[in-house]
Amino acid sequence: MTVPGGRVEMNQYCQETLAKAYLLLDGEGTPEEREEIRVHLEECSPCYERVGIDADVKKLIARLRGCTPCPDQLRTKISDMLQSQ
Amino acid sequence: MADVTAVDLSKEEKRRFQEEALPILDSLYAGALRMTRNPADAEDLVQETMLRAYRAFARFEAGTNLKAWLFRILTNAYINTYRKKQREPQKISQDEIQDFDLYRELKDHDPDISRTPEDIVLDGLVDSDIIEAIDDLPEQFRMAVVLSDVEGFSYAEMAEILDVPLGTVMSRLHRGRKALQKRLWDVARDRGIVKGPRKEDPKKG
Repeated sequence: MTVPGGRVEMNQYCQETLAKAYLLLDGEGTPEEREEIRVHLEECSPCYERVGIDADVKKLIARLRGCTPCPDQLRTKISDMLQSQ
Repeated sequence: MADVTAVDLSKEEKRRFQEEALPILDSLYAGALRMTRNPADAEDLVQETMLRAYRAFARFEAGTNLKAWLFRILTNAYINTYRKKQREPQKISQDEIQDFDLYRELKDHDPDISRTPEDIVLDGLVDSDIIEAIDDLPEQFRMAVVLSDVEGFSYAEMAEILDVPLGTVMSRLHRGRKALQKRLWDVARDRGIVKGPRKEDPKKG
C-alpha cells in the first residue's frame, strides 16, 4: 500500500499508522511492522512531525532514569539485612 | 502480609543474590518512589521487596530477567501492602484524553514549529515538573509509563510484572502517555514556559 508523499490531509492510512507508531518508538512489533511505519513516516511529513513529538516526550520522560538513586542508608540497611539472614 | 516460605539458600546462591540484585536497587527505589510517591514508604517497600526476593531466590530461574522478576515482587508487595494507604487515585475522563492533542497545541502555539518542538517548548521543564506530571496520573497509567519509558521494560516484561495481558499493557501505555502529554502541557503553561490562555474542559458551546 502506498500513500502519495506530501499530502497534508490525514487519511485513514495515516490514522492506522499513527495508532501503531509507538511500536517503532518502543522497538516492539515485528520488523515488517516497524519497516512499514518507517516508510510511511519518510513519505508523510505531518505524520513524521506527530511521531517526532511523541518521540521527544518519550525522551523527556527517560531523563528521570537514574535521577532518584537509592539512598545510601537504605542500601546499607538492606546489605546488613541480607548478611544476617 | 503474605507468608513467604523461606528456602535455605546455598552459599553460592547468597553470593549471587548480593552480586546481581544489589545493583538493581537504584531502579527498584525509583520504581517504588513513583508507585508510593512518598520516600518513607518507598524505602519500606524496597526493603520488603528485597527480603521477599531473597527468600524466594532459590525459585528464581537463572538466566531469566532478574530485574523484571524483582519488579514483579515489588509490584505485588505494593499492591498487597501499600496501596490501601494511598490516596484514591484520581480518575481520568475519557474526554480529557480523547480531545487532547499535543501536536495541535504545539502548532497553535507556534505554527512554524516543524521539528523537535520539545527543544523549544517542553525542554524548559525540569525533572521535578516531569515527576509532578507523572505522579498526578492514576496508578495503572503511572505504572505503565514508568515501567516503559523510565525503566525501559518491553511490553512482554510489563505483562509479566503487572500480571495482565499484552493488550492491556498497550492500552494502559497508550492512554497513560496521552494523559501525561496533557499534564506536561498544563505544567508548561503553569510555569509560563508556553504562553496563552490555559484551555479548560474542552466542552463545546
